[in-house]
Amino acid sequence: MALAQAQSRPGEVNVYSGRHYNTDKALYAAFTRRTGIRVNLLEGKDDELIQRLKSEGSNSKADLLVLVDAARLVRAQQDNLFRPISSRELNKDVPANLRDPGGRWYALTRRARPVMVNAALVNPRLIRTYADLARPELKGKLCLRNRASVYNQSLVADELVRRGAPSTRLWLRGLVANNQQPLFTSDTPMLRAVGQGQCGVTIANQYYLARLLQSDNSADRAVAQKVRVVWPDPTHVNVTAGGVTRSSRNPDGARRLLEFLASPTSGEGYAEANNEYPLRGWGNNPTLRAFGTFKASPVSMQQLGQRNREAVQLMTQAGWN
Amino acid sequence: MRTAAQLEACGPLQARPAGRQGLIAAAAVISLLALLPLFNLFWQALFNGSASTPALGVDGADQIRGTLLLVLGEGLSGAVLGTAIGWLTAMCRFPGRRWLRVAQLLPMAVPAYLSSASLIDWGSHHGLRIHGIGWTIALMTLANYSYVVLLSTESFGISGLRLLEASRSLGVGPWRSFFRVALPIALPAVGAGVALSAMEVVNELGAVRLLGVPSLSAGILDRWQIDGDPKGAALLSLVALAIVAVLVAVERRLRQRSRRWSLAGSSAQQPLWVLQGWRAWLALLVCALPPLAALLIPGLWVIEGWQNLSVGAFRELLPLAARSLGLALAATGITLVAALLLAVVRRWCSGPALQQLSFVAGLGYAVPGSVLALGLIVLGGPLALGPLLLLLWGYGDRFLAVSKQGLDAAFERLPPSVDEAAISLGQSWQGVLQRVHLPLLRGPLLVGALLVFVDVVKELPLTLSLRPFDFDTLAVRVFQYASDERVGAAMAPALLIMLFGLIAAAALIPSLERR
Repeated sequence: MALAQAQSRPGEVNVYSGRHYNTDKALYAAFTRRTGIRVNLLEGKDDELIQRLKSEGSNSKADLLVLVDAARLVRAQQDNLFRPISSRELNKDVPANLRDPGGRWYALTRRARPVMVNAALVNPRLIRTYADLARPELKGKLCLRNRASVYNQSLVADELVRRGAPSTRLWLRGLVANNQQPLFTSDTPMLRAVGQGQCGVTIANQYYLARLLQSDNSADRAVAQKVRVVWPDPTHVNVTAGGVTRSSRNPDGARRLLEFLASPTSGEGYAEANNEYPLRGWGNNPTLRAFGTFKASPVSMQQLGQRNREAVQLMTQAGWN
Repeated sequence: MRTAAQLEACGPLQARPAGRQGLIAAAAVISLLALLPLFNLFWQALFNGSASTPALGVDGADQIRGTLLLVLGEGLSGAVLGTAIGWLTAMCRFPGRRWLRVAQLLPMAVPAYLSSASLIDWGSHHGLRIHGIGWTIALMTLANYSYVVLLSTESFGISGLRLLEASRSLGVGPWRSFFRVALPIALPAVGAGVALSAMEVVNELGAVRLLGVPSLSAGILDRWQIDGDPKGAALLSLVALAIVAVLVAVERRLRQRSRRWSLAGSSAQQPLWVLQGWRAWLALLVCALPPLAALLIPGLWVIEGWQNLSVGAFRELLPLAARSLGLALAATGITLVAALLLAVVRRWCSGPALQQLSFVAGLGYAVPGSVLALGLIVLGGPLALGPLLLLLWGYGDRFLAVSKQGLDAAFERLPPSVDEAAISLGQSWQGVLQRVHLPLLRGPLLVGALLVFVDVVKELPLTLSLRPFDFDTLAVRVFQYASDERVGAAMAPALLIMLFGLIAAAALIPSLERR
């Protein structure tokens, strides 16, 4: 029945995506085989895609917008770029805190930002929560990525929601005091610095470490082996998510693609491409399984996005540049 | 409003060719097209939307200081390095000179965001932090000093050769000849090169972000896209524009002070000074190090990280390369024609309004590519222009200054008597252009074409923002992979960009080595 419907209205779905993985294309091809709907792809940087969609207005050809990080999703939502859709399948497949309550966007994969430690320099038992990173014992051992990193902004927003502004402010001051090196601009060199012992502890997304562990370069694997994942309780989780655009001329096709990508079978493939976690559970990726399991922060993506601006302000005030 | 007579006021030329009205109209249209997206954007930013007054913001001062430091640092080191190498390769003879001359174009083909990403990645393997303003200046100098070499070498090679011969015959050594004769003559070209490279610095985005230096280019984008504050972004853009305007003014001043005329290619070009012993070695070292470094930075990465070179990426290279090539060729053609028209108008109609028109038409170079892209998107929707057309418009707007700088400098060295002779023989402006200017300016035109070609192949923000669906180019791929911290996957398309640069450089050899 679904197939017949697809054949009668094959159409095309135009996707703006902040992801750049070749394996994504295989998934889109699978969707085309199943539904007859062609997928046209435009990959870019998330913020740029949002701006492009905004500037194109109702002339935009995009049907589906796929973005990484809650802060950007909520920004796109506040710019009124998404159209609300209702889908029983999406409501079933996507946990409530990982989608917009208004049905404007739905998570497709999860990523975590745990603490990573060089056990030779920092006792992993010292760290049970993100708050512990502000302990004075870690002075000079903590390495951080800069404030521009949206991953860090969302992490701070998470703390802000759970612990309130005064505690977060104190915590940020402690972090900045413990950080002795110039702030990093990317996660991978930071993880290498931890493995090599220039840093004792840092915060990084799990897929960067997974990538290093799977690297064809033996030196990278050796460095990554020295890094241990420490799961704070709770661990900050963020998402890749998609939503049907307001300007879409094929909202039906876009919704079906979204349902396809969020479904447990394809979703696993979408997550696998970047060593991410599926929407529920921990998946079958052996590298990720070896990291162990974590208790995800209960804070919703919606809240993370809404507190982003405040989080950035607190970071600026604390001297996190 | 200025009168037609004022518009057509005569410059150094005594006679002017017929049919200039069409020419002026064409120049006006070009300038209008170049200004429209920017003007529209500033208008929208400043007078539409929220009523808040624009402010520099918490990071504004840091960003301005960062960009100023970069411009100064890169400008100085680029001027010294570029002039030295331009002089050595054009006027001195030492082993490997011919090869090294061509090799100077190589660094231009290595995008700064790529060399930064691969150097940071390589450094992090060896416990070396590549970070901060010093590294940024070094890497930006490496990426941009070729502008100075290219423009100065042209100028050393063709102008004042007789003066140099005279100074040598008077027993003046190479150092004094350089400082007292050659440098003053080449100053406009050196200035033009430095101005171009400094504008690249103002505009650089990827490298400064990766190296953690606050800059206007990043500030403008963040204010616009992340803070949702177009007014703040417009204000920062105006600061960037002001910096570039100062650069251009300085360059023009230099050029006016040292106006000389010479017939391009009129004299056979022979290296004048034969360097021997340690001097030859030193020259070799100075000329070989920068291109070697430009190759070595990604090269080291490839040697150590070849296991990470992703094979899957090779399959997509052909369509990526075809798109890059097609776009670059089309954009080069459009840009050169526009620049030539503007340069000719500047030569024949020196009315202040037209002079300024030609100046402001080149301002697109000063605005960060992403901002220009937004301006074009805002314009393109209502005009129902296809994305490819917008993209070419953007390239033309952005790189007009690149081809124009060199051409203007070359035109200024061409004695007006050449035009006057042709006009007195009854040639129209098209005739003078076709039969006199084009043959005489083949060198500068080729240099301009090469610069634009290489620039477009590695251009990022415009391509990223304006390309249609499923239309990735080499540069787009390099950036996407590099920004995902997957340098291995970025390397294959990056090597192709460098290959294109090399081919373009090779195409230039005959013109540089013309005898």
